[in-house]
Amino acid sequence: MSLINENKDFGVIAELIPNNASVIDVGCNDGSLLEYLREYKNIDGRGMEIDQKKVQLCLAKGISVIEGDADTDLYDYPDKLFDYSILTYTLQATKSPKTVMQQLVRISKKAIISFPNFGHWKIGASLLLNRKMPVSKKLSYSWHETPNLHFCTINDFIDLCEELEIKIEKKGDLSNKKLSNFSGKNFLDSYFNEVGLFLVSKD
Amino acid sequence: MSENKIVTLAEDEPLNLDGGGSLSKFKTAYTTYGKLNDKKNNSILVCHALTGDQYVASDHPITKKNGWWSMVVGPDKPIDTNKFFVICPNVIGGCMGSTGPKEINPENGKEFATDFPVITIADMVRAQKLLIDYLGIEKIFCVTGGSMGGMLVLEWLSKFPEMVHSAVPIATATNHSAQNIALNELARQSIMADPNWQSGNYYHSDKKPMKGLSVARMAAHISYLSKEALQSKFGRNLQDKNSLDYSFDADFQIESYLRHQGFTFVDRFDANSYLYITRAMDYFDVSSSNNGSLIEAFKNTQSKILCVSFTSDWLYPTSENKKIVKVFNSLGLNVSFIEIETENGHDSFLLDEPKFFEAIKGFINSTFENL
Repeated sequence: MSLINENKDFGVIAELIPNNASVIDVGCNDGSLLEYLREYKNIDGRGMEIDQKKVQLCLAKGISVIEGDADTDLYDYPDKLFDYSILTYTLQATKSPKTVMQQLVRISKKAIISFPNFGHWKIGASLLLNRKMPVSKKLSYSWHETPNLHFCTINDFIDLCEELEIKIEKKGDLSNKKLSNFSGKNFLDSYFNEVGLFLVSKD
Repeated sequence: MSENKIVTLAEDEPLNLDGGGSLSKFKTAYTTYGKLNDKKNNSILVCHALTGDQYVASDHPITKKNGWWSMVVGPDKPIDTNKFFVICPNVIGGCMGSTGPKEINPENGKEFATDFPVITIADMVRAQKLLIDYLGIEKIFCVTGGSMGGMLVLEWLSKFPEMVHSAVPIATATNHSAQNIALNELARQSIMADPNWQSGNYYHSDKKPMKGLSVARMAAHISYLSKEALQSKFGRNLQDKNSLDYSFDADFQIESYLRHQGFTFVDRFDANSYLYITRAMDYFDVSSSNNGSLIEAFKNTQSKILCVSFTSDWLYPTSENKKIVKVFNSLGLNVSFIEIETENGHDSFLLDEPKFFEAIKGFINSTFENL
């Protein structure tokens, strides 16, 4: 059974992580990604989650989880404690994406970051045609109730990595379940990937 | 239901104490619930708080009330005694049957009173370790407790890391703050200011330091509750009257409540024990034998840990509990943390807090399944 067929996002992330790695999932939800990685990659996993109901679900699954906030609680970890940190669909909801990214590459050797790409053509078209904030499957909140504070595009993310001297090693294309080496900005990615997924690091 | 049991420990060699001196052939009173399985891997050690005792889930012999954690420990409870073998010892220095100031000193046949050596939290843990050895358990599945019980948990993790598979320290701290010490000193001074205390030698006297102990309990009780809880429970309501008396009687409900807490406490607790145990808490600093380094104190710990705090607890606030989490995180340990929202203050760990129960149950059961 291929990892990728099991769950699209999980499978692509799992491909990036070697067996027995130590991993922290920041914004780990109900712990299902960590559980998946524990099963298929035998990782030593930790979670951080702000929503207590989800913290309870993690505890019941035997996942070590800190009820905490990515904006304030990553400072508690020493440098390069983990092999990998994961931040899926959370960057846009943090108060300071910049410091969160800096913390992620500080506490882990490599970081996997995914976020909704605000540069996707449908979003652009929706804004252009409807003059309304886009609502889609990946961006499912209305503007007045969204927890998302900082939307960015794939190109914005790449620029921020450059500014922070964070190295982008790989990029993922979730709709085609594909990983490839990163070689700079790419027109197709920024228009056609609904989700940006990158493997980054900073020595 | 569990019968109280008493065992004499340190029969061959004495238990050396942090403050110098030693205890030999000391007694430990304890209760157990459930059965130790064949693999001996299902034991849970419950550590009680300052005024707690071994009656964790059975009726108290003096107050006749339910055990102090009967909502947590029992069949089908968050700590399920159908599954786990629960052990709860009375700490040394206590007054419910373990060797302490009110027990007889075998050397002279009289109560220890203030001849009892000043003990520490680490001494209590060393004494508990002898009980665990006596019960034939090499590795405790889980050590848990709140407040002072949480300090005992931390000391277990530091002193006997290889014996602890998992741990749940609740509403506690790695050491006592100046404010914690100040509150305990207030309690001790009120006991010692009572002329009936008689330098601790009141055991054969008609006069016992009930007023001093009662005031100590009243002061402590305030620290166990939050301002919000006191306000919503009592406000400025008057006690059985419609107008102020313009006297020093208990006009307000809160006064009457505190007096009741104080009066009922003296029936079940020994004033000298209160002095000794509060002293042990003040002296507590889990890093003290490691030059103040918490990282050093826990460097051999491998246990899976859940830390719990309560939002309205100002005695052992979330910030103190997070300090513990930070140390465990720094060591890369398998640590979880949850902060329960409640207005019940420090006492929350003894009250009906469903989210707290859910967290304990989820952690303990999943940890046991992955054993």
